[in-house]
Amino acid sequence: MSDIALTRTSRRRGKAATAAGLQRSTTATVILYLCVAVFAVWILLPVWYLVVSSLITPTQLGVKPFPMIPSSITFDNYLSVLTGATGSKGFGSTDMGARLIPAIGQSFFVSSVLVILNLFIAGIAAYGLSRYPFTGSRGFELAIIVSRVVPAIAIIGPFFVAFRVVGILNTPWALIISYNVFTLPLAIMILKNYFDQMPREIEEAAKIDGASRLQTLWIIIVPIARPGLVAAGVLIFLESWSEFFYSLVLTNQLTVPPLLAGFQSVQQFNWNSLAAATVMSMIPPVVLVVIFQRHVVGALTAGAVK
Amino acid sequence: MAASPTSSGALNRGDRLFGVKLTAPAGVILAVLLLIPTVLTILYSLHDVPANGRSLGPFVGLENYTIVLGSSVFWRSAWVTFVFSVGFVIFSTLFGLGMAILLNQRFVGRGLARALLIIPWATPWLVIGILWKWFADGSVGGLNAVLLMLGATTDYYDFMADPNSALVLTIIAAVWRQASFAGILLLAGLQTLPEDLNEAASLDGAGVFQRFRNITLPWLKPALVTVTVLNIIYAFLQFDVIFAMTQGGPGDATQVLSILIYRQLFGVTQIGLGSALAVILGFIALAGGLLTVKLLYRAERQSA
Repeated sequence: MSDIALTRTSRRRGKAATAAGLQRSTTATVILYLCVAVFAVWILLPVWYLVVSSLITPTQLGVKPFPMIPSSITFDNYLSVLTGATGSKGFGSTDMGARLIPAIGQSFFVSSVLVILNLFIAGIAAYGLSRYPFTGSRGFELAIIVSRVVPAIAIIGPFFVAFRVVGILNTPWALIISYNVFTLPLAIMILKNYFDQMPREIEEAAKIDGASRLQTLWIIIVPIARPGLVAAGVLIFLESWSEFFYSLVLTNQLTVPPLLAGFQSVQQFNWNSLAAATVMSMIPPVVLVVIFQRHVVGALTAGAVK
Repeated sequence: MAASPTSSGALNRGDRLFGVKLTAPAGVILAVLLLIPTVLTILYSLHDVPANGRSLGPFVGLENYTIVLGSSVFWRSAWVTFVFSVGFVIFSTLFGLGMAILLNQRFVGRGLARALLIIPWATPWLVIGILWKWFADGSVGGLNAVLLMLGATTDYYDFMADPNSALVLTIIAAVWRQASFAGILLLAGLQTLPEDLNEAASLDGAGVFQRFRNITLPWLKPALVTVTVLNIIYAFLQFDVIFAMTQGGPGDATQVLSILIYRQLFGVTQIGLGSALAVILGFIALAGGLLTVKLLYRAERQSA
């Protein structure tokens, strides 16, 4: 049923498009496609440079000008990073490259634990704020928005001291705890907004049928709110995956971003290997966002414009 | 707020208590993780904290602040932060608006173009810094190759060694990401613009620019305010891109406040001074955000 309706609207849209296309003058069309080309170059040129760098040999890299379209490609840079044979020694005796795979693992671990924890904690908080507002709930929401201006650098000192005392410096737990500072407010904002836009009729029906507030939340709300939860989950994952500053200070290059920064400061670590490592670090977030594009953009817009 | 069907007046006591219980875990976590460290940092800023950070050290009142505000290093860094932020905010917002308008037109490959828009936003800030540092590199960089091929330059140039071009390039790199973010939000705003509005206006004889000024821009106002405020906050707090590209150099050409604080806290371990700087930076970000909201909304009221 809905499929048919969809095709129909898209067909109508298609006709409208051709009509508009006919209206557009040739000059306007040329300008439009020129702008599209400029846009594509603006986005793709640096990315293309990165990918090409990761696929050529150091000898090719030394050629001036840089071979934007290389005559041959190699996967050696990826292999050397993955097998830990980049030929660069850190302060210890192990190859720096060998640390990439464990760092990717740690990044996945930290990000996944945060997604699960935050979806639960932020989920119930957002639902409470949306459906059962209390004295001070508005103030709490405002505080969450204002927390965005607190510089990470302003609160890192106390974290460092506290984690040293507890003995969890340089462990994923230091990051799982500290990342809540930015992931939890973000998740609450997005989910509160999502719950606000959800119709209340189903909950009211459940209430009349004698379901308790908790039953309504678990059995009725969670399944319906799945798209919102997915979007919030993806955004939490992205934020945790990308985080650099806390990880730089609280760990010894445990996750991917500070490790990449560490690679940069090692003399023997050439740009080809660094480029390969950088490409690998970009794949998870980009793939995730492209898959969940619709969900994420919707949540981002709702959460930010609020 | 009061008009909503579930305003607190309409709820019974049990319901409100249920709301408190649901919000409590998040509230406690954020209070512990955000409030306590913030208060501690403010306390640090009022003391001469020893380098090991084990105790607060002697209370010195506002001395750290007077030292900071009286030092040329601070003002130089504040100026760099200002230049970076102005460039970052203006170009991120304008490019974002341009991209949103472009991707709202009908053309072949629009879906793909919209997917492209997301890539810079999904890329970690640090990776963007690394990417642009090497792209602008003086010996193996792609930027030099492109400029050479276009005939804009005759030889390779070491952009990152030149204080001016280094600052410009950190701005470009940060804008590359943030313009996409602005573009995503503004495009979403444009997509909700009812088409009848434009059609009616063009039937009335309104040209492209008139329609943009009188329909599109007012419609995008709330989204533009949000984007601008977020851009301002991102600008003041930017650390990753500059750390990856220049670490504040060459010299102090790109030493924004966040980099200066990092050096004070972890380079020379001046915890008291660094904390005072951090408090100042937080206030600047807050003030910048609030001021923008106020200015933009006043502009809206005047034009309405």
